[in-house]
Amino acid sequence: MNFSRIKNFFHHLFIPKEDNNFRSKLLHFDFLTYYLLIALFFTFLFKKTPLYNILGYATDITIQKLYELTNSERQKYNLPPLNYNEKLASAAYQKALDMFAKNYWAHFGPNGETPWQFILNSGYQYEYAGENLAKNFLFSQNVVSAWMNSPTHRENILKKEYTDIGLAVVNGNLNGEPTTLVVQMFGKTQNALAINPVKTKPVIAEEKRPIIEQSNIKNKPAILAKKEEENKPKIISFFFNFNIFFLVLLMFTLILDFYFANKMGVLHLRLTGKNLAHLIFLGFIMIAIFIISKGSII
Amino acid sequence: MIKFLKKEFKKHLLDYLLLFTAGIFFILSLNLFQGERFLEFIILLFFVSFYIIWGIYHHIIIDKFHLKIVLEYILIGFIFLFLLKIIILP
Repeated sequence: MNFSRIKNFFHHLFIPKEDNNFRSKLLHFDFLTYYLLIALFFTFLFKKTPLYNILGYATDITIQKLYELTNSERQKYNLPPLNYNEKLASAAYQKALDMFAKNYWAHFGPNGETPWQFILNSGYQYEYAGENLAKNFLFSQNVVSAWMNSPTHRENILKKEYTDIGLAVVNGNLNGEPTTLVVQMFGKTQNALAINPVKTKPVIAEEKRPIIEQSNIKNKPAILAKKEEENKPKIISFFFNFNIFFLVLLMFTLILDFYFANKMGVLHLRLTGKNLAHLIFLGFIMIAIFIISKGSII
Repeated sequence: MIKFLKKEFKKHLLDYLLLFTAGIFFILSLNLFQGERFLEFIILLFFVSFYIIWGIYHHIIIDKFHLKIVLEYILIGFIFLFLLKIIILP
């Protein structure tokens, strides 16, 4: 009895038949309007709420995750893991702040600022140094994958000379739009016996520097920011998964509706949009979601 | 069903070709401006608008134009415009 009720309920939602006017209930106007209202509710709720500033839900990128992924890539090539260095982290954070303050997205600042300046200003005396940058990614995994797919960034990550790493993930406004910058800085301190430190400064990564941005850390030391970011709710993950789930549900319903309506021979008799066109549109939207989750690197 | 699909594509080849071309341009443009959030949103807005216009045009051509159909295309288009906006411009 109960099973029959459940079956009827799902039939009503997904399969076109007489009691749903030969159109899956989930595709009726009232349901489509509810979906739109839910989408609008989420859009405006998060625009108005102070959660964005407090919790930094714009991305799911965390310093801890980036650090682990970078070391895991090195381990695949039998390279020693990098030590997290607070001075390099501070340099990375200052670099991100500088990019926001001077509105640029590059390894070199508009006034000739170099990545090496930030490293030296943080008190880290390097023998080798490098920088990787990324912006507007949604997930840590995508950032590291994008770097590993770029020969110059990959070279930085897998450079055997490096011993230390510093990371920063900073949210801010770049060119008037909300941006998440990721700055990854690598280094190896000068040997204490080095006679002339200035001469040993590497020019290495000048062409190969990648930059990363840090979020919501303000002027706290990067190491504290690391802990803070780990506790952030993963709201963007929720929305990403929600979008995928909703897309799949709608596509599934459209296919069922299309299949059964065609089987019953009512496809031409209904006054509805073309399921086939909707499916093509949703297919492109699905591809778009995956592209959007990836940002850019330099 | 395959038979129907073949017939449908054959009958409205130009219309579906247009929709596919727009979709491919949409994906290529997103790839080109990856990481530029505002541009990504504008590209999405263009594609959604194109989709709604395509729906209206297609149903006028097949002589099945009705306000209900226009609303259906608008609703589906805007649902995903707003859902993706949360990810693009949080």
